[in-house]
Amino acid sequence: MNSGFRLEARGIRKSFGGVEVLHGVDLAAAGGSVLALLGENGAGKSTLVKIIAGDYHADEGEIQVGDEVHSSLDPVTARRLGIRMIFQEMADAPALSIAENISLGRWPGRRGLVRWREVRRRAERVLDELGADLDPDRLVSSLRIGERQVVEIARALSDEARCLILDEPTAALSAQEVDRLFTFIERLRDRGVVLVYITHRLDEVRQIADFVQVLRDGNVVLYGKVGDLERRELVSAMVGRAIEEVQRPAPRTWELGKTPVLRFKGASSEDAFRDVDLDVYPGEVVALYGKVGSGTAEVAEVAFGIRRLSAGSLELDGRARSFRGPGQAIDAGVGLLPADRQREGAFMVRSVAENISVPSWPRLAKLKLLISARTEGLAYRRWHDALGIRSRNDPRQPIGTLSGGNQQKVMLGRWLERRSHALLLVEPTRGVDVGARQEIYRSIRRLGSEGVGILIPTSDYEEVVQVADRAAVMARGRIVAMLGGDAISTEQLIEAAGG
Amino acid sequence: MTDEQAPVTTLTTGEIAAGGPAVSQPEPRRGRTVPEVAALVLFLVGEIVFFSIKSPYFLDRDNWFNILTAIAIFGIIAAPATLLLVAGQFDLSVGSGTAFCGVIMAYVAGNQAGSLGEATSLGVFLVLLAGLGIGVINGFFVTVVGVNALITTLGMLAVLRGLAQVIAEGQTLFLGTFSGLGQGRIAAAPFDVPVSAVILVGVLALFWFVMRYTVYGRSMYAIGANPLAARLSGVRSKRLIFLGFLLSGLCTAIGGLILVSEVGAAASGTAALGYELQVVTAVILGGASLAGGRGTILGTALGLLIIGVLNNGLNLLSVDAFWQQVAQGTLLIAAVSFDQLRIRVTAR
Repeated sequence: MNSGFRLEARGIRKSFGGVEVLHGVDLAAAGGSVLALLGENGAGKSTLVKIIAGDYHADEGEIQVGDEVHSSLDPVTARRLGIRMIFQEMADAPALSIAENISLGRWPGRRGLVRWREVRRRAERVLDELGADLDPDRLVSSLRIGERQVVEIARALSDEARCLILDEPTAALSAQEVDRLFTFIERLRDRGVVLVYITHRLDEVRQIADFVQVLRDGNVVLYGKVGDLERRELVSAMVGRAIEEVQRPAPRTWELGKTPVLRFKGASSEDAFRDVDLDVYPGEVVALYGKVGSGTAEVAEVAFGIRRLSAGSLELDGRARSFRGPGQAIDAGVGLLPADRQREGAFMVRSVAENISVPSWPRLAKLKLLISARTEGLAYRRWHDALGIRSRNDPRQPIGTLSGGNQQKVMLGRWLERRSHALLLVEPTRGVDVGARQEIYRSIRRLGSEGVGILIPTSDYEEVVQVADRAAVMARGRIVAMLGGDAISTEQLIEAAGG
Repeated sequence: MTDEQAPVTTLTTGEIAAGGPAVSQPEPRRGRTVPEVAALVLFLVGEIVFFSIKSPYFLDRDNWFNILTAIAIFGIIAAPATLLLVAGQFDLSVGSGTAFCGVIMAYVAGNQAGSLGEATSLGVFLVLLAGLGIGVINGFFVTVVGVNALITTLGMLAVLRGLAQVIAEGQTLFLGTFSGLGQGRIAAAPFDVPVSAVILVGVLALFWFVMRYTVYGRSMYAIGANPLAARLSGVRSKRLIFLGFLLSGLCTAIGGLILVSEVGAAASGTAALGYELQVVTAVILGGASLAGGRGTILGTALGLLIIGVLNNGLNLLSVDAFWQQVAQGTLLIAAVSFDQLRIRVTAR
């Protein structure tokens, strides 16, 4: 299995604007094995692999690929050496076909003319090799995100990649797609390719990696064989302190309200979900667990007026409602934290104060018309400390300069400032590092104690265990199980959702 | 991560209902960041110093009124253009719209039987109506039908120029009886300020206030910064954008009135030709982002002044008008390149 081919980085140092983010990091990976690179956001994982892929130049250190040693690489040299990187954000050409994408930039041809038959044959060969059942003539824009990733891998493979770096490849994949991706990774490993796999999901490390290296604050804090390390060791290496992992929240000490804030009765919406019966009482934290595509987020969309019910009904505070848009839902006291913060939630170029205030402008404005930066600043300050937002303590700071976890806290603060009493938090900790995650969970529990009704559609079962009073499990658009109290465990959730 | 675990303050019962915890430090900390307009101010001062050394007339009060009147028309249009661009929208129909409105004024007021006053008021009324009509059409196609603003207003650019020429039969319509707006002065001591300059300052001040302090203006920033997030925050984007086009149409009408009054005629084929690009130049020069979400009236005002001073100064130095175009284009590219550099430097 070991091909003898090695990728090594030694003593890599890198500074941005006078701040050193990598303090002499080593990395070694052998062909025919998978190295998992673990670390919280900002630990330096991305910087390290970008140096290896030639996107950044290291200030110090050297990189050895096979027998060649370089003090720094540029993208062209990195490609020549067979290093390929697959980013979270696709770098493909959606308007072209799969076959064209696989040969992108390396058209087989004669005298400037493309030989289309060879383009097709090349695609068929590599897709076949991967065991991927995709028609090479399909447009990439028609593919699901998991399939697009497979095309990217096929492209790297047909290009004789000897080292493949995958940056959080499973972030947007469903469970089946993850399984398929892992099959491909195993096949590449068996061919002797060096695989570096960046992730922050610990269960994946166990599933796919042979070796694991943990980065924290620009240093390597742990390296070893996956089989020799306890899960707990990995977590504390990542976080830098031992945290109680996957623990149930403290039992509720407060009473629930009498009338449900949210009640779905026999609710169906086209193909997304059917016959959903679900209550959320004031003070209750209810998780709606299901894999990507199971319909959990769509249930929340109905309560926010973005989606209509085709059958059944929705009640808010005991009154039947059918919202015609988010504006009406917001006025009725509903708040939605969308799953994709960058695309649907944050105003990246605007200030944190503005980001928190937008839905509350009608209330904050004098005469319902005039708003000042000062009023917004006050609104921001109200939640800055309460939610533990770490920023420059300047309301004018653009939200884009905050870390993912702190951006998410601002998004949460948006609905608190709006005084929403029914919160829909979709995947509330996606892309949030472990430390900030715990803080967000604490804030959610605290909101429950204040009488807010909270529904959390999520595909992260550890999240359900850590935050929910009650959990409904969805699969293929139906609620298949309802768990409460100590019955909420990772095993139960996975089993109920169909493995 | 260098920052320590921030102390998590616990909310006490009832604080959520009361609108959150009490605020301990009400005054926002003043930042030490260099304001984005600093470079523009610096450049403007440089221009002024240069031209005042080169020409003895440059600093004359009357010369400054010349500068202001010269930028008055497209400055008035640039105010709503800034508002629209901040929301990620364009209005390219403003140049033709100005000509169209001017032609209507000259046509109605020139051909109307009856007293002079009646003819003029009817003309003004119809022009303002026409401006609103242009705004309604643009707004309808952009927000209700969903056609891209660039395409809608590009179409309207052709339509309005064509209609202006249809009405005037391709000729220049003269109107000698309506000079107050473009040539008049407000005689009140101590200055006798040109009316058009006063209108310019008034419109800019109004839009400055709207964009900075009203929920409407701030919502436009949110729409431009992230349309989807704005919708999910309860911002009624469509009607706000519609209103933006309405304001643009109205300011176009005012521009058309000033134009016909200033020249005493409306040339259906060439009046206000290329104003839409002049306007975009000033707005972009002032720091607004083509991607939306960024831009201020203060920036636009500085952009207008930089262009106005440049043209005026080059005139005083008797530089060929063709070279003025070259200078203006170069300036735009240079300013935007500089901004890119600034972003790259501050991002590191």
